[in-house]
Amino acid sequence: MPLLGQNITRRMSDNKRYWMDLGELHQQPEAIKGRENEFPQELAIDQVLGDPSFGKASTGRRDFLKFLGFGIGAATLAACETPVIKSIPYVNKPEDITPGVANWYASTFYDGEDFASILVKTREGRPIHIKGNPRFGINRNPALTKGSINARINSSVLSLYDNERLTSPMSKGAEGMTASSWSDADKAIGTALAGTGKRIVILTGTVISPSTTAAINALKAKYSAPDAAGVPATKVDHIQYDPISYSGVTSANQKSFGKRVFPSYDLTKADVIVSVDADFLSSWGSTTENTWQYASRRQPGKGMNRHFQFEARMSLSGANADVRVPLKVSELPQAIVALHAHIAKGTGSSASGASAEVMAATETAAKALLAARGRSVVMSGSNNEGVQVLVNSINNMLGNYGTTIDLFGHTNFHQGNDAEVARLVENMNSGAIGALLIAGVNPAYTLPNADQFKAGLTQVPLSVSFSGYADETASLCTWVCPDHHALESWNDFNPKVGHYALAQPTIRPLFSTRQWQESLLAWSGSSSNYHDFIRSTWEANMAGLGYTTPFVDNWNTALHDGVITMGGASTEVITFAGDIPSATSVAQKSGEGAGEFELSLYTKESIGSGAHANNPWLQEMPDPLTKITWDNYVCMSPVDIERMGLNMYLGEQAPASLVTVKAGDREITLPAVVTPGQRTGTVSIALGYGRGANGERVGRAACTTDHEGNFVPVGKNAYPLTTFLNGVVGYDVLNVSVEKAGGTYPIAITQTHLTDMDRVSIVKETNLATFLGGEKRAYNHPHELAVHEDVNGDGVINALDKKPVAEFDLWEEHPVEGVGHRWGLSIDLNGCIGCGACITACNSENNISVVGKDEVRRSREMHWLRVDRYYSSATTKESAKQDGLGKIDMYLKMEVPEESPKVVFMPVMCQHCNHAPCETVCPVAATTHSNEGLNMMAYNRCIGTRYCANNCPYKVRRFNWFNYVSEKFGEVNPAWDDLGRMVLNPDVTVRARGVIEKCSMCVQQIQEGKLAAKKAGTPIKDGAIETACSAACGSGAIVFGDLNDKKSKVLEMATGDRSYHMLEEIGVKPSVNYLVKVRNTEEAAAHHA
Amino acid sequence: MDAVPIKMLGMPLVVRISERFTLLRNASLTLLFFAFSLGALAQGTDAAQYAAGEKLFKGNCASCHKPDKDLTGPAMAGARARWEGKGDIYAWVKNSSAYLKTGNPYANELFAKWNKSVMTAQALNNEEIDAVLYYADNYVPPAGPKPPIDPNPKPEASSNWPWLVVIGLLLAVVAVSLSGVKSSLTNAVREAEGQEPLPDMTTGQKLRQWAWNNKGFATIIALFVVVFITLKLWDAAWVIGVYGGDEVEHYKPEQPINFPHSLHAGKVEAGNLAIDCQYCHSSAAKSKHAGIPTTNVCMNCHTAVSEGRSPEGTAEIQKIYAAAGWDPAALKYTGKIEPVKWVKVHNLPDHAYFNHSQHVNVGQLECQECHGPIDEKMDVAEQWAPLTMGWCIDCHNTKDVKMAGNGYYDEIMARLEETDMGHSELKKYLEDDKISVRELGGWECAKCHY
Repeated sequence: MPLLGQNITRRMSDNKRYWMDLGELHQQPEAIKGRENEFPQELAIDQVLGDPSFGKASTGRRDFLKFLGFGIGAATLAACETPVIKSIPYVNKPEDITPGVANWYASTFYDGEDFASILVKTREGRPIHIKGNPRFGINRNPALTKGSINARINSSVLSLYDNERLTSPMSKGAEGMTASSWSDADKAIGTALAGTGKRIVILTGTVISPSTTAAINALKAKYSAPDAAGVPATKVDHIQYDPISYSGVTSANQKSFGKRVFPSYDLTKADVIVSVDADFLSSWGSTTENTWQYASRRQPGKGMNRHFQFEARMSLSGANADVRVPLKVSELPQAIVALHAHIAKGTGSSASGASAEVMAATETAAKALLAARGRSVVMSGSNNEGVQVLVNSINNMLGNYGTTIDLFGHTNFHQGNDAEVARLVENMNSGAIGALLIAGVNPAYTLPNADQFKAGLTQVPLSVSFSGYADETASLCTWVCPDHHALESWNDFNPKVGHYALAQPTIRPLFSTRQWQESLLAWSGSSSNYHDFIRSTWEANMAGLGYTTPFVDNWNTALHDGVITMGGASTEVITFAGDIPSATSVAQKSGEGAGEFELSLYTKESIGSGAHANNPWLQEMPDPLTKITWDNYVCMSPVDIERMGLNMYLGEQAPASLVTVKAGDREITLPAVVTPGQRTGTVSIALGYGRGANGERVGRAACTTDHEGNFVPVGKNAYPLTTFLNGVVGYDVLNVSVEKAGGTYPIAITQTHLTDMDRVSIVKETNLATFLGGEKRAYNHPHELAVHEDVNGDGVINALDKKPVAEFDLWEEHPVEGVGHRWGLSIDLNGCIGCGACITACNSENNISVVGKDEVRRSREMHWLRVDRYYSSATTKESAKQDGLGKIDMYLKMEVPEESPKVVFMPVMCQHCNHAPCETVCPVAATTHSNEGLNMMAYNRCIGTRYCANNCPYKVRRFNWFNYVSEKFGEVNPAWDDLGRMVLNPDVTVRARGVIEKCSMCVQQIQEGKLAAKKAGTPIKDGAIETACSAACGSGAIVFGDLNDKKSKVLEMATGDRSYHMLEEIGVKPSVNYLVKVRNTEEAAAHHA
Repeated sequence: MDAVPIKMLGMPLVVRISERFTLLRNASLTLLFFAFSLGALAQGTDAAQYAAGEKLFKGNCASCHKPDKDLTGPAMAGARARWEGKGDIYAWVKNSSAYLKTGNPYANELFAKWNKSVMTAQALNNEEIDAVLYYADNYVPPAGPKPPIDPNPKPEASSNWPWLVVIGLLLAVVAVSLSGVKSSLTNAVREAEGQEPLPDMTTGQKLRQWAWNNKGFATIIALFVVVFITLKLWDAAWVIGVYGGDEVEHYKPEQPINFPHSLHAGKVEAGNLAIDCQYCHSSAAKSKHAGIPTTNVCMNCHTAVSEGRSPEGTAEIQKIYAAAGWDPAALKYTGKIEPVKWVKVHNLPDHAYFNHSQHVNVGQLECQECHGPIDEKMDVAEQWAPLTMGWCIDCHNTKDVKMAGNGYYDEIMARLEETDMGHSELKKYLEDDKISVRELGGWECAKCHY
């Protein structure tokens, strides 16, 4: 460092001299001369200048700089030109489209897993938002006139704009998959189908569409008829396969009642619900129906239902239960046996025993059931036939058939038959299958014996997948004939006896895809399109249902409403014909052979069976209970985590420990996550992850690429751990080993609290008895501050003189009370089941960025609305006092959640405080208060100081650390390429880097609703304006409205006895209020005085 | 009233236009009269029948027929001749459907030829039919196309320019030669006085020396030059701006079709058509976008109106036909459409939400209040208002809310009157006897930014 050396010697110090080398010290002339050069070596200037070509160059350095400067200047100026924007109107405007005005279409969502009547919002021909149909359909909550849906349904609009969808039919040749044309596909497949002498099998999910069945029958008719020469026909079979099997349930109904169906439940009539491992609010049965029916009976009062849940894993239903009993997986069949015994005893039948422990655990539930005969329901999530026969028997003894359970008006869901699928795989391997057409299912990913299926597929000469992606199954087929996305399709549905629904396209197909039913029609020799085919099917069948009005009227009604009901319910008497002793022994047997650890496999609220794993909104939606995004993991109880020495507390800098779960010869290594409520000795793993593990292109959000560009699937596939026993797929594995795998794994978790540390001003909870007691202070104690005046009139000013916090104002009040509108939200903690449909609805409405796992891990998720989850602790201040614990011990004990903690879900969005702390600290007034009570955010003004986020007591403000709409985040955020951008709501700004954003209470909807009222010249009707979250909440937990409207529901809730403000004591006067959670338990209220 | 300045601006123009117009009208009347007299001479009939026929034709027939051209129906001129001896034209006109049933071969041939479109039965008597046919046979097209009305005639380019340049050049030459003369004279004087002749300096050197000698003067000039250049640059900077400001020349891009707003929407008195703005921009009352009319809206009129008032106008109309895929000869749509790629004129700054229906429908604003005298003065649309936030909130500050008769505002008023806080707010609002947009929150961020 010669240069540095010079300086040092000169300036370093006055009384010390530093020298670099002896030459300098002794003032050698060579050294002094050499110092003049910055670099002691000669520069290679001569070599460069000596190059003869250099001399010929006409541009000197100065010229170069001049040109550069001029160029930059010119480019800058040119960039300032007013951009010419083209505006291209229609040539012939469709009558019903007005640019700038949204059109809503009634349609239907069905993917084999969820069913819902929906409304699709389209802007300028692009579907951008989905909500439940508020007027029609089985998922409609009539009391609220809202359609209940879940996150998977409202997120499905994003999958339409996935640029990894197949854009044309593909055929498999020597060099892999190549794009083909529909005419080639039809020719090749038609020839192959006609030429095969073997069986043709159509493998689908559960088909509830009459017209699809008719199309399948058309293909059957074409290839099953004997030809003129009398050669035996090729047989066409239709096999239905559910990735999440209900085979045991339907075959139990076959054995019990002679009907292989999944019954229809009516939880609005159920006073007592006992669920043994059936997560009916999230994944079991007809969840969109169950949720609103359940929530409609959760209003505290005399009519409130009572919910018992027996389960190993803390499920969403268990989290909502009044009484939750954690049992080992192996004990769950015992619980049914025990319940059966209790009920049988109570109804005078003979009883068969179960272990005394389980008998005791089920006693309270049994008592409640017996007290509510005909007004109760027992459900079991088991796929074991014996267990389900016992459940049927219990319900039969209780007289629930015909009231809470309907077998005649049964659903048509879950018709899959595991045994037939297993036979199919065998037949494929033996070469008996000539052609396999696969629609709507992905067996190479979901089957327990997927390897055998894959091997069998190579033995099938013609395999056609109708998948929209080159997924696990499609990429192995000889042809892929991509189906439309559901929003591009026509379809009809018969979800329940007497209920018919239509799905209509809301956009022209984006790619050269074709509806799979239309492909079937084409191959069976019909040139009809599927729309005409549905119409003719309906026309042919409607007469049989006793319709006298002209067909076209009914059709138009069905198309407009999305739904039509026809055909009355039967009233025949059912008789239970199940064999109890054999069912009991089958059930008992299914609980045998338990090992050290027992595994239950489940599906998550967000990802489900995995069909939507490529949807980034769903991947980034935190799991309702673990609050983890972008991964699946092994759920373990705190006791086991501690015993095995695994990481208990997870966060940005605290990764999870990896464990290996071994079941027989299959194993899976995943991070271990502590889930309070998980029964010790059991573990749970979510299905539906690990898509695209072999590099299949299943949509970008399902897998990411690592630094080396390798595909890394999100999570791991747990389907190989499912079992196949007695002809059904099972999701419980009773003997697994869990071992520390060594190493850790970063987890993106959005909430790390384990317990609610007795801070009662965030969540408030009470039991029904206390609530019915009628004294508000007992369960909703207002916060009061001591004042220096004689409030209570006892003549002395002391600590007893208090005033409620609401009467204090730090600042002058905003004039919102009684002036114009004052928008507010009331959130009923009793109604909120934690499903998270509001989160994805908000994503869709407000263009909220997906940021990816790494950013979420750094707490940079952008969700405007979060659902906080709180676990209760067994230790309270009162119990600590009784136990004589010191303060430190008390708080330490409070940190340990109960074995089965109580769970509270709490949706939190911007509280739109009237004394907003964020507004006072913004240096540029980018966030201000409106006279309608809204806390406004002007992105253009925001300079990104983040003072507001810092000062927000609710932590609802989100900062754009990056430009999330850029290529950089394209990996996790396919919503932002040219195709994905089509999903954006054009009325909401897409935020750029460096600005804060937060819940606006869907101000665009407010403005739109106000404008509609002004144009109509009428006051705004309560309920006419909905925020995205309130519209998505079919259980009625989130209610939006005008607090200045005396007749509004939101005001009624806000002024009720249960209403309180979060962190009321800080006096920010929020516009959002919460309603105390009331649990239907008998235990005394553990609450502060 | 905001429209006052516009009116004032328009005053001299109106005078000018009316002058021109009177001239034109006189000319056309003369021509028309000439034509009539010619016709009268040739046919030996009167102008009265022609006029009666014209009136009847325009009232009953013009939607499907033209006198001299095919439209939905055939050209009417020569109809009587064509029917001669083939059937009863009177019966045909009175009720064509009934006449068809008589099996008249010519009638059926006609019916088939014209796409089996049924001619509406006409309640005319024979004399009236005669008059119409007379009018058609003797139809004289309106005398020549009117010259396009230029309401904003550009002042003719000043012819002083070349002279000024010439004079300037002359003066420069004089100055140069004078300075040469002066220096030779000075040198001569110096030589005479025995001094060294002045060094031979270049112009630049001389200039510098002069400046050195007259520092104060040079400084002032330099100051002026700097200020002048700065101002010019400042102006230029405004023009290169993306959206411009108050000083910008109104943005008026070239459009693919030279659509004259003044002709379509201008006043009838000025010889224009006075079509309501919202006939074409129909979504202005319903949507956030006023909407560029779709081509089928143009075709509502232009299926019939195929000729402009000038050859250029006719050419422009042909562009609509090309876009709509209309074959004016066959009077049929060919199906080959080509959307018109208009250039957007009004670009609101990013991140601002503006809703036309709020302003047009609820606020009851006239289009001209923001778009300027687009109906009177603009041939091709141009940006009138600066569309800046300052301009928006200026208006929100002064405009009162149109509350009367709107149930929504009745409710708002009722609430204001109900509570104490409402009362005090209302009092504040009514200090100037009106409730402005601003008072009801029209200045709040989230009214336009979300």
